Amino acid sequence: MNPILLARVTAAGCLAGSGVIHAQLYLTGYRTIPWIGPAFLLQASGSFAVALLLLLSSAAVLRLAAAAIAAGALVGFIASRTIGVLGFVEYGLLPAPQALISVLVEIGALALLAVPFLDRTAARPALSLSR
Amino acid sequence: MTTLESAHGPEGGPVGMSRRQLLRHTAWFGAAVVLTVTSGEVISHLGTPPAAAAAVAQDPHALRFVQISDSHLGFHGPANTDVTGSFSRAINQVNTLGFRPDFVMHTGDLTHLSTPAQFDQVRQMLGGLRTGQVFTVPGEHDSVDDHGQKYRAAFGSGTRGDGWYSFDIKGVHFIALVNTLALEKLGHLGTDQLEFVRKDVAGLSSDTPIVVFSHIPLFAMYPTWGWGTDDATQALSYLRRFSSVTCLNGHVHQLFTKTDGNVTFYSATTTAYPLPHPGQGPGPIPLTLPAGQLGPALGIRDVSYQPGQHALAIRDRRLA
Repeated sequence: MNPILLARVTAAGCLAGSGVIHAQLYLTGYRTIPWIGPAFLLQASGSFAVALLLLLSSAAVLRLAAAAIAAGALVGFIASRTIGVLGFVEYGLLPAPQALISVLVEIGALALLAVPFLDRTAARPALSLSR
Repeated sequence: MTTLESAHGPEGGPVGMSRRQLLRHTAWFGAAVVLTVTSGEVISHLGTPPAAAAAVAQDPHALRFVQISDSHLGFHGPANTDVTGSFSRAINQVNTLGFRPDFVMHTGDLTHLSTPAQFDQVRQMLGGLRTGQVFTVPGEHDSVDDHGQKYRAAFGSGTRGDGWYSFDIKGVHFIALVNTLALEKLGHLGTDQLEFVRKDVAGLSSDTPIVVFSHIPLFAMYPTWGWGTDDATQALSYLRRFSSVTCLNGHVHQLFTKTDGNVTFYSATTTAYPLPHPGQGPGPIPLTLPAGQLGPALGIRDVSYQPGQHALAIRDRRLA
């Protein structure tokens, strides 16, 4: 399989994984938390939607949406352990193991979504200043 | 073709867009929005499936109970100038839920200053609940000056030690713990109570659903403000083998949920007055909200369980 296609499919898998974790946390109690519950629902549903479409197309808008969802979840994770998110504060890698898995798949998704750009950068001939 | 830019993208496509490509991107974006909305609908309905809710309502074997918390009868302050009225509304809301709960659990701080008059008032008001039984656990406000003696005189009948106990209803094992008596900063259970928990669950099958009530959270919600129990880890270690453990607490006057392995923690809101979110402000002091915003911060919780299901269904309701 084309490595860029493989990266895209795996990124879709990582994004879907993040969606599964957020959906599970939403269903098992986070839905009762003001703002955070709806945010988890939006993250999960958006992840599923974009992951599915990412399997079908490499459209830039989809890659951008996937990166935004993964990065947004990571920013939320960091904020909830530092400054809090609208008063919502969590500690360390709890809930376990969801917190750790979620962080890993989101970092993985971002890294895999960057593969086409890295590939393009590697393929581009170096600029020469000599004429 | 109107090409806006001729540079090429990472997978060979142009970075700039033709009109056709713009339409294609718009279509993908639209599809993402539609699928997101659809997924959201599906997930949110999984949380409270109407069919399952109806099944619980009609199933005579289903368990339904209500948790109310932190009523602070006797509190006087701008955060809530009528805690008695708020508690009356909570009781009325329980009585008009549309079903008769198997029991009502009050998870502590029934009174604000543990006076005999306040205990008498709360006992009388709890007597107005239309339910099978009323259970309580003490909060630190229920043992201000006597290590919980007045509390146990009012509510301690049939309990062990300093007021802890357990009971079974419809296949679910309930444990009511006291973690407010020996507290210095954090809640504390103590050796005797930990031993009680160990022995209490020793003979239970691992697929027995367990529900644990306490006033102070059994998880480290915000230890800086004392929102945690220093020896809860030991108690929870006795519960690790069970497939479903649900811990319900009060004390923090706000909804909060945390899952840790097989254990899910749910902090309840109050019927009296809200407290700040963890770390916001100088400490856990009563919040005075703008007019009209107090009601939505208060509430009750109803919990249902249908035999054969893995987990309990928790529903938090704003005070009506």
